[in-house]
Amino acid sequence: MAGLPRRIIKPPPPPTSCCCVQETQRLMAEPVPGISAVPDENNARYFHVVVAGPEGSPFEGGVFKLELFLPEEYPMSAPKVRFMTKIYHPNIDKLGRICLDILKDKWSPALQIRTVLLSIQALLSAPNPDDPLANDVAEQWKVNEADAIKTGKLALCWYLIADLTF
Amino acid sequence: MGNCLKSVSTDDISLLRENQSTRESTSSADQLSPPLPSYEYQQESVYYPSPNVSRPASQLTEEEQVKIAKRIGLIQHLPTGMFDGSKKNRECVICMIDFLIGDPIRFLPCMHIYHTTCIDDWLMRSFTCPSCMEPVDAALLATYQTS
Repeated sequence: MAGLPRRIIKPPPPPTSCCCVQETQRLMAEPVPGISAVPDENNARYFHVVVAGPEGSPFEGGVFKLELFLPEEYPMSAPKVRFMTKIYHPNIDKLGRICLDILKDKWSPALQIRTVLLSIQALLSAPNPDDPLANDVAEQWKVNEADAIKTGKLALCWYLIADLTF
Repeated sequence: MGNCLKSVSTDDISLLRENQSTRESTSSADQLSPPLPSYEYQQESVYYPSPNVSRPASQLTEEEQVKIAKRIGLIQHLPTGMFDGSKKNRECVICMIDFLIGDPIRFLPCMHIYHTTCIDDWLMRSFTCPSCMEPVDAALLATYQTS
């Protein structure tokens, strides 16, 4: 079995634990406002994430569930992040995949789970229809932003209802 | 703990070792001894000829082998040292562990420092500084031109 990255929490090896000053502990100790990331009980590489729709954004009032997985290569390669809650956003597709440069070619090992989630929160505040993943949404966003935001808010309501029902 | 690091095995000697041994003979063996384990690890595992492309050594094209060999050469030109506590940086941002006095570290031209093993692993994938994203080779060339 491959070892966990040094910065991710692992079962402390008795009698001394030398590498436990890690990312997960820090993330839990100093959480980011509006974001919660909790490691799965059975898999330290899998995080259950909840992001609140940022104030003043079309997604205000929404609560978005995401999953974050640290590949074996982490931190040499980016975490894999996906929206579990549906969202009407030009850079997020129907499957919840996110178009964000730091998750692809702009990844750097100096980035952390915290910075990735902050970037996703910023993407909710400032959608970028010029680099779309969901083309139909981006098109509407470009033609009439006010309309798109209305559609987004309406969709948000429906998705929230769906989340409560299922 | 030892189990935090990936294990080093000695089989599967790649073509790149030849390149490395010639370099070794040109400078003092003592100076080069700390970074060697990380290169050995790189040689036996997967290479990254370009970002998001990974391949075992045996499946690299000739062009990719040259590119990687050049990169190893460039990495060896970056100065290394021991952490002596005099730098402002207190932790290696790659592994997020505090530097301890005596830790082998590597200095990038932008003056950012990292554990040698941590940064070498990254430089084999992307020749940029993780902190400032400065391309390391451009900065290297600039220092050659000015000095």
